[in-house]
Amino acid sequence: MMDFINGETVSILLFFIGIYGLIAKRNIIKSIISIGIMQASIILYFISANYIAGSIPPMGDLSSGPVADPLPQALMITEIVIGVGITAASLTMFIHIFHKYGTSSWLKLRRKRLK
Amino acid sequence: MIDLLWIILLPIIIAAFSMILPIKLSKYIIVIMQICLVIIAFINFAYVRVNGIVLQSIGDWPSNVSITLRADLLATVMVLLTVILFLAMVLYNTKQKYLNNLFLFLFSVLEGLIIALFLSNDLFNVFVLIEVATVVISVLIMFKKDSQSIYDGMLYLLINVVAMSFFLLGVGMLYKALGVIDLFGIESAVSRLDSADSIILPYAFIITAVSLKAALMPLFSWLPRAHGTPSAPSVISAVLSGLYVKSGIYLFIRIQDAFASQIDTSEYFLIMGFITAVVGFILATAQKDIKLILAYGTVSQIGLIMMGLNMNHIETTWGAIYHIVNHAFFKSALFLTAGMIIDEYKTRDVYKIRGVFKRMPIVSIASIFAILGVTGAPLFNGSISKYLIAYGTSGSWAEYGLLFINLGTIIYIVKYSQMFFGLDTGIRCRSDFYRNTVVFVLGIICFIGGIFGEKSIEFLFDVKMPVDPLLYGTKAIIFIITLFIGILIYHGFLINSKFLSKLNKFELSFNEVCLTLTLFFSFTLVYLKITQ
Repeated sequence: MMDFINGETVSILLFFIGIYGLIAKRNIIKSIISIGIMQASIILYFISANYIAGSIPPMGDLSSGPVADPLPQALMITEIVIGVGITAASLTMFIHIFHKYGTSSWLKLRRKRLK
Repeated sequence: MIDLLWIILLPIIIAAFSMILPIKLSKYIIVIMQICLVIIAFINFAYVRVNGIVLQSIGDWPSNVSITLRADLLATVMVLLTVILFLAMVLYNTKQKYLNNLFLFLFSVLEGLIIALFLSNDLFNVFVLIEVATVVISVLIMFKKDSQSIYDGMLYLLINVVAMSFFLLGVGMLYKALGVIDLFGIESAVSRLDSADSIILPYAFIITAVSLKAALMPLFSWLPRAHGTPSAPSVISAVLSGLYVKSGIYLFIRIQDAFASQIDTSEYFLIMGFITAVVGFILATAQKDIKLILAYGTVSQIGLIMMGLNMNHIETTWGAIYHIVNHAFFKSALFLTAGMIIDEYKTRDVYKIRGVFKRMPIVSIASIFAILGVTGAPLFNGSISKYLIAYGTSGSWAEYGLLFINLGTIIYIVKYSQMFFGLDTGIRCRSDFYRNTVVFVLGIICFIGGIFGEKSIEFLFDVKMPVDPLLYGTKAIIFIITLFIGILIYHGFLINSKFLSKLNKFELSFNEVCLTLTLFFSFTLVYLKITQ
């Protein structure tokens, strides 16, 4: 039973929670948070999907056991950096929108923009 | 052969250095750099055409470990197209008021990223490049800081980030299933699989993201916002619509190739392409804003290209690829001329602009050449690619589908081109030399691509696609008949109909776009589970 709760299933669940947030929430901040959740789930997926129990980090002395795959880790460091950049950029834009229109709802924003 | 890395890094490095120089100097440096890039791209193209595919690994690692750049004929042609269009855009821009160092920097970075996207051979690299390009483009979209621009830019940024999350999760699943993220590693690993079961889910994730980048049917609603936004300078609209959207189609071609041995979705995307084309022209006809007409027109043409790519017929595939090149030229010409017309008349409403032909003759000639290209008029470039796309469809429903799409294209183009005629009180305007030359040359290219169509396909892609003069003549007659029907339909009952004014309010909100993205993903997944 407990085997079912591993990194992969949790990450896929998290990914779809993020999508639920994007579809159901009208608040821009919540949309940005949902994207953050999706990014975290992707990072969890990459790291845990190829995990071998008891493996050692791929540096230093490699003789004492199976070595963990370094590629997903390298990719995910890049993804974390990109994620930070994207979140920062979207929050900056949100601040501008809020100053200009005084709302954080997608619907009200769209109505005001069309005028 | 010049190192592929340089053609990617050169625009970024030079633009970064020119940031410290005064704008009067740096804009000429950028122009010189663009000319150098055209020369480099042409040398590489010539090399690849003679010697075949070039595979280059970065750092001295063996090619299965390192990051590789791969230049084949399609990739080098796309690179050549990119640098030529960017040269045109930079020249067009030289006397604009909004031009400053930041704009030139972002613009050149975008060029480097697009070139890298075409040469990249690794899905994670593609992901990184698209993410960075998304941020750069959303800044460029709101460059003039008009009132609507921030909303447009933010919508563009968030929708594309969500789509790329789908892409990255798909790449992760693919890595788990196959152990590679290299496009050609994937191709060989997929061909060794016994069944497609393990790669259906990653494929569905990846193709959903790619369909959004290519603006397929339910996923296109970000495109007109981004490409037709009033705040973006018209060069940005031209680059986005003429070129950047093609990177989505290019990725689609690559990914379909990589998965071709196990997954066949050509029928699905053929129908999707048809629906995209039809919805695109209906919405284009409904618009009043001239930039939005052109932006929805892009959606319609994307559908046409998609149909061509998925008919599994050698002529249609090359026709679609040639249409990518043609579309880049005529759509850039149209967007640039539209920008000049908007600057002159200070309005974007197609019903208020009249008499462009008298006021701006050169602009009008370039524009009309491009229009003849879009509609596939005989002797212009669109006719050759549409002829080739139609060639493979004879006898199926798609043949009539293509005629219907062309009729739709003609209807919205009739609406667009009515602004060239009519009375105008204004005097002949004095527009600057660079802009006139650029749009005129782009217009002429549309013509040259048509009369030398067969030769230019052979020159660019090294394949012979014979055009039968008799069949081509028949197509010309069909075109003229369609043109009359189109004019009749538009002036007969569309011009005063209420139906259009209801449609032009159509726009999906952010939540709805995310919903359609998820629905598209689920639908693709179910389709794949049933058919494979």
